[in-house]
Amino acid sequence: MDFKIKKGFDIALAGKPDVDIVNIKSSATVAIYPLEFRGLRQRLKVAEGDIVQRGSELMEDKGNVDFKLRAPAAGKVISIVRGARRFVEKIVIEVATVDKAEEFQKFSEAGIKGLDRKVILDQLTTTGFLALIRQRPFSNMADATVTPKSIFVNAMNTGPFQADAEAVVVDDPEAFQAGLDLLTKLSNGPVHLCMDANESGQTLLAAKNVETHTFRGPHPSGNTTVHISRIAPMGIHDVVWFVKAVDVVLLGRLFLDGTIPTSRIVSLGGPLVKEEARHHYRIHAGGELGGLLKESLTDEAARVLDGDILSGVAIEEDAHLRFGQSAITVIKEDKERNFIGWTMPGFNQYSFMRLVASSFLPFLRKRWSLGTNMHGEERAMVLTGHYDKVMPLDIMTDFLIRAVLAGDTDEAISLGILETDPEDFALCDFVCPSKIEVQDIIQKGLQDIEEEGV
Amino acid sequence: MLGYKDFVGVDLCVCPNKKDKMKFILNMHDKVRHLFKKDGKFGAVGPIFDAADTFMFTPDHRTGSGAHVRDAIDMKRVMMTVIYAVLPCFFFGIWNAGHQYNVVNAVAEAGNAFIASDVFAAAFLNDVIRGLIIMLPILIVSYAVGGFWEVLFSCIRKHEINEGLLVTGFLFPLILPPTIPLWQVAVGISFGVVIGKEIFGGTGMNIVNPALLSRAFLFFAYAKSMTGDVWVAHVAGAPVVDAVSGATPLGFVASLPEGMTLLQAIELGHVDFMQMFLGVIPGSIGETSTLACLIGAAVLLITGVASWRIMLATVIGLLSTGYLANFIGDSPMAQLPPYYHLVAGGFAFGAIFMATDPVSAAATNAGKWIYGFLIGMLVIIVRVANSGFPEGVMLSILFMNLMAPLIDSFVVDAHVRRRKRRA
Repeated sequence: MDFKIKKGFDIALAGKPDVDIVNIKSSATVAIYPLEFRGLRQRLKVAEGDIVQRGSELMEDKGNVDFKLRAPAAGKVISIVRGARRFVEKIVIEVATVDKAEEFQKFSEAGIKGLDRKVILDQLTTTGFLALIRQRPFSNMADATVTPKSIFVNAMNTGPFQADAEAVVVDDPEAFQAGLDLLTKLSNGPVHLCMDANESGQTLLAAKNVETHTFRGPHPSGNTTVHISRIAPMGIHDVVWFVKAVDVVLLGRLFLDGTIPTSRIVSLGGPLVKEEARHHYRIHAGGELGGLLKESLTDEAARVLDGDILSGVAIEEDAHLRFGQSAITVIKEDKERNFIGWTMPGFNQYSFMRLVASSFLPFLRKRWSLGTNMHGEERAMVLTGHYDKVMPLDIMTDFLIRAVLAGDTDEAISLGILETDPEDFALCDFVCPSKIEVQDIIQKGLQDIEEEGV
Repeated sequence: MLGYKDFVGVDLCVCPNKKDKMKFILNMHDKVRHLFKKDGKFGAVGPIFDAADTFMFTPDHRTGSGAHVRDAIDMKRVMMTVIYAVLPCFFFGIWNAGHQYNVVNAVAEAGNAFIASDVFAAAFLNDVIRGLIIMLPILIVSYAVGGFWEVLFSCIRKHEINEGLLVTGFLFPLILPPTIPLWQVAVGISFGVVIGKEIFGGTGMNIVNPALLSRAFLFFAYAKSMTGDVWVAHVAGAPVVDAVSGATPLGFVASLPEGMTLLQAIELGHVDFMQMFLGVIPGSIGETSTLACLIGAAVLLITGVASWRIMLATVIGLLSTGYLANFIGDSPMAQLPPYYHLVAGGFAFGAIFMATDPVSAAATNAGKWIYGFLIGMLVIIVRVANSGFPEGVMLSILFMNLMAPLIDSFVVDAHVRRRKRRA
């Protein structure tokens, strides 16, 4: 089916990555960030100096000992970085010249179709790849003990910028189809593949054994919440799983090869990335980003993001690729102070609202080199109605925020907070003239509810 | 000729030259900034420094959590846009207050002939100067006293000074009669800001519009200054030229001279639609001209700062109730054609600038329709049913401000019920 989303806003950020794929030669070290796996109760299984294979156990979950984090490459553990409360933040492995891999179960394309749900879940759990599948409500890692009502595969990238699903899938169509076949076994309901009506190519449209849906319209038309709400709205006790299309390829590879995948494809974009460097890159799983970023960035002070500018997480410039990371966006750190900016016409100011000159003269600039400036200070929350203009969901954002701030979880639930994810409110962050951190508020609301239990 | 290409990439807002010129102010601020930090020497009045600092230069705060880029708009700009939208009313109000004064007191129109040789220009100048003499003290008192309370509460609460006062302090003088004593301006704005806003927690938390509450307070506490023959100042001893020109058209209709019918009043020009639309009539300083209000409405609607739903609903509510009154009422006020109500009294000003205040209005879209419609309806009811308060706009809006949370609560409940049914 084709769905048209009207409300929303596409931020005209400069630096869209090209869809071609550039291979990066092997990485000297690889790393894994255990804190990325939300809810994981860490039990470290290696020490500095240990020799590991690709796929060797690095850590297991004390809460569910079947769930393990595995080494993305063979080599020697050279550093275990601990942070607050002695949590392991990062395990770094020096990559050996010879790649030895631990073998997991391996299946043919036809074999996957006949697989049992339990076999699939066991392999996903023991390799840690279950973490690529997440679950609503709360957007945590999928819980293998529940059977979801349906599974949503997101092949859209309306937030600036995400890896282009078509580009990634074209690169390995067998693995993508194998991954989709795996997913169909995990749910009793359908698997929904949601894609962009304008930008999706043949490979996505040709996907088999799933229900394909196309969406058009401004961001957040590419958000999973929007897809769920339009295709099959969640009831209060429903559980739905969701996964990024670019991650489905990895799931497929894991089962086709029987080993931990060695690489993944990541987009690199944003105004601070040199024009000639805005591509998709094939990078070693957990590989170094420092070299790539050093070559690709301009000289300005930069903020490097895992993900897009709306809901991404800032990472260091010498970071390694994270497990679930498929996009790198780089924007400038902006501390500019403008003289009496509150009344200047604003030819060089970018806004959703028609309150600056540039809004009336869109031909002046098509793409904007936006930075990290707040453009204002936090003020009292005023219900200006701006949130509703960028919210395509049937959610009363203003009142939901108030309910969360007042600690009224019952009211928040009846206003539909469980159907949402903080990323759905990212544009509210963007447009808010009072500079209220709406995503944080929703995140906190969801956390409170999760702790209390529904 | 400059084409748009000349502007591409040019930083008009912070062009390098201007920034260098202004840099010294920033340096000056940076030198003393530490004194105003929380534990600095002047930490207690930190918010004042902060306000001055961010007034001169946009703050340098950066995103941390949440979205990493933000819209260029902040509350300062939103509030300033409201003020820009009110400026036509403000300027017209200054001229009109002076004009009405000069007409009633028969001030020689050639009084300033030595400044401008043209008679009309001289009269215009005369009116503007008189208007400034009337208006500026009121505006200054409103801002100074209102600002004092706002700053005091900000310093005590240790939060930034909210820009809401810029609007409140600007709107309040415009809805006062030109003859208002300055001490009443001070008392009124104090009541509005402190009781109307600050005791509820400041901007964003208030239930009613502070500027309107200030006026309502004066209306009930000092009725003598707010009703009757207050719309134009008489100079003691000066000859009064036109006995009725000191009354507002609404006041005139509310108490027609004996033996005169409404039709006669209209025919005689005591109630002239065009004059009321243009606003060359006695009344509160800034609200007589519907035309000036409409210019402001255009600014608010194009920029999206105010809700078109509320404005439209208010007009619909007024007209439909007005026609209904034509059918069932027989007093002159009930018989007044409804479109006269659009240009009469403070309706246009109230519907455009007061009813749309996002803090005190209904916040849901459905609620905005109901809220606006009921304001329009109440205006007619007050005007028709009680000729003692021909100016029903203020009371209608205040009353609906109080009702707005209830309306919203109904709308939200309906939304929740709909969700439950779907689940």
